[in-house]
Amino acid sequence: MNPVTRICPVSDAEAAALAGAATLADLARQITDSPPVTGTGRAAVWPDGRSGTGRYAGRRSTRHRLLIGIPVAAALALAGLVVTSAGKPGEKVGPVSFGPASARAAVLSVTRHGGYLRVIVTNPLADAKQFRAEFARYGLDISLTLVPASPSLVGTLVFTESGPSITPITAVGRCDSGGGGSACPVGVEVPLGYKGYAQLTFGRAARPGERYETTAPANAPGEAMHGLNFAGKTVAQVLAMLAARHVTAAQYLVNVRCQNVLRASAPASWFVSNADPWAPGEVVLSVSKTWPDRRASCAATPSPAPFTPKAG
Amino acid sequence: MPSLPDALPDAVHADRRRRFDELYAAHNRQVLGYLLRRTESTDDAADVFAETFLTAWRRLDDLPTGQQAGLWLYGTARRTLANFRRGERRRAALAGRLRAGLSGYQPPEQEGELADITAAFRGLAEPDRELLSLVAWEGLDPGQIAAVLGCSPNAARIRLHRARRRLAGALAGLDRQETCPAPARVYVVNGDIA
Repeated sequence: MNPVTRICPVSDAEAAALAGAATLADLARQITDSPPVTGTGRAAVWPDGRSGTGRYAGRRSTRHRLLIGIPVAAALALAGLVVTSAGKPGEKVGPVSFGPASARAAVLSVTRHGGYLRVIVTNPLADAKQFRAEFARYGLDISLTLVPASPSLVGTLVFTESGPSITPITAVGRCDSGGGGSACPVGVEVPLGYKGYAQLTFGRAARPGERYETTAPANAPGEAMHGLNFAGKTVAQVLAMLAARHVTAAQYLVNVRCQNVLRASAPASWFVSNADPWAPGEVVLSVSKTWPDRRASCAATPSPAPFTPKAG
Repeated sequence: MPSLPDALPDAVHADRRRRFDELYAAHNRQVLGYLLRRTESTDDAADVFAETFLTAWRRLDDLPTGQQAGLWLYGTARRTLANFRRGERRRAALAGRLRAGLSGYQPPEQEGELADITAAFRGLAEPDRELLSLVAWEGLDPGQIAAVLGCSPNAARIRLHRARRRLAGALAGLDRQETCPAPARVYVVNGDIA
């Protein structure tokens, strides 16, 4: 007997019971209520970077699109939208002007509503110290950092590390669907008197040549390849499409012996399966020698074993 | 009666929804189990679960059918979880209820011989652990593992053989070191060796 079988932490049945049938059904409904984006959505493609190429390991290789963002201008507009959507007018305790005279825009919009503070980032270009100082004004030990994000994620919340009482504020229907469905996270709601520490990370615009740390799909609205139908086309065809938009392929992602590795170039006759933003005006293309790609051909391999978990 | 051009999108949407519901019903338990077995962060499990099925919804027309769809979901869940482990996590608004549901879960504390197996298992590199887990916990064979990992069945078979050998070596090593303190290892919350 495989000894690992004996240390199975939780069975499928136990996991389902924890979640609850109603919760799982509710989630399915939310997913199917979101726009399907047929033929343009794609799977997360990044490999386990730990054993991938050195250049591609670590935070810079991260791409997430659980929550898809919106451009800065839209984020600014949303500050008002979210507050007014609360139903009753909240007691406004912000925004507070901050920073040099040349940048009078407030870094945060903080409004009080019931027992909560609603915090929206209004200036994704401010620095971490400004945010921290602003939170401190309300007695909150919250640090906010910004990471270079692909265009559609600028101004959105990309990561939170906090207690469960801090919840994201979302603006439904204002951005491309991601793991958040049609709900874009644009801020957080913090209970008054929150004593814990929290870390929030928002997307900011990348400088020319700076690699993104978080990205939406390359063909999401607002991204470099929006509207391009590239899946299954050859590298040569896709490069021609990119050239028309003054976008270049910075790297190619290739699956070699169960590991995805980055290459500087790829044969023009190979096929493109996925694309991700890399830096302003640059993308990384996932390519394979055959189409459908290798993973799909593996999946087509007949296997006699039943697809039944043995765990539990 | 609506004209065809008006009726068609509704019919297409209804069909997609039906296909997704079938996929979800067939595989949601396996995917959730897979994730809870791979991460101690129930929040990550909930978010990756939502992301995985949202990706499936968006790529429904590209998905393989039958049991192969389950392998595709495992592969997608695995890659998405790998992203989370690299540091940045984005909380999915629609996973909120699921996060709350899973929040009470605590991985079992293993004792005695099982603790030894756990220690040996955790001492392996992540690719080895994943191969052994796909066999032991998801009940997959090398051909199916190849589909999840995106490699040839032969490569999966060879790597699985090596992983088993390394686990056996680690278990034997534990026996030898019974009276010695185990070497210190630092784990990040997701179980990866720091």
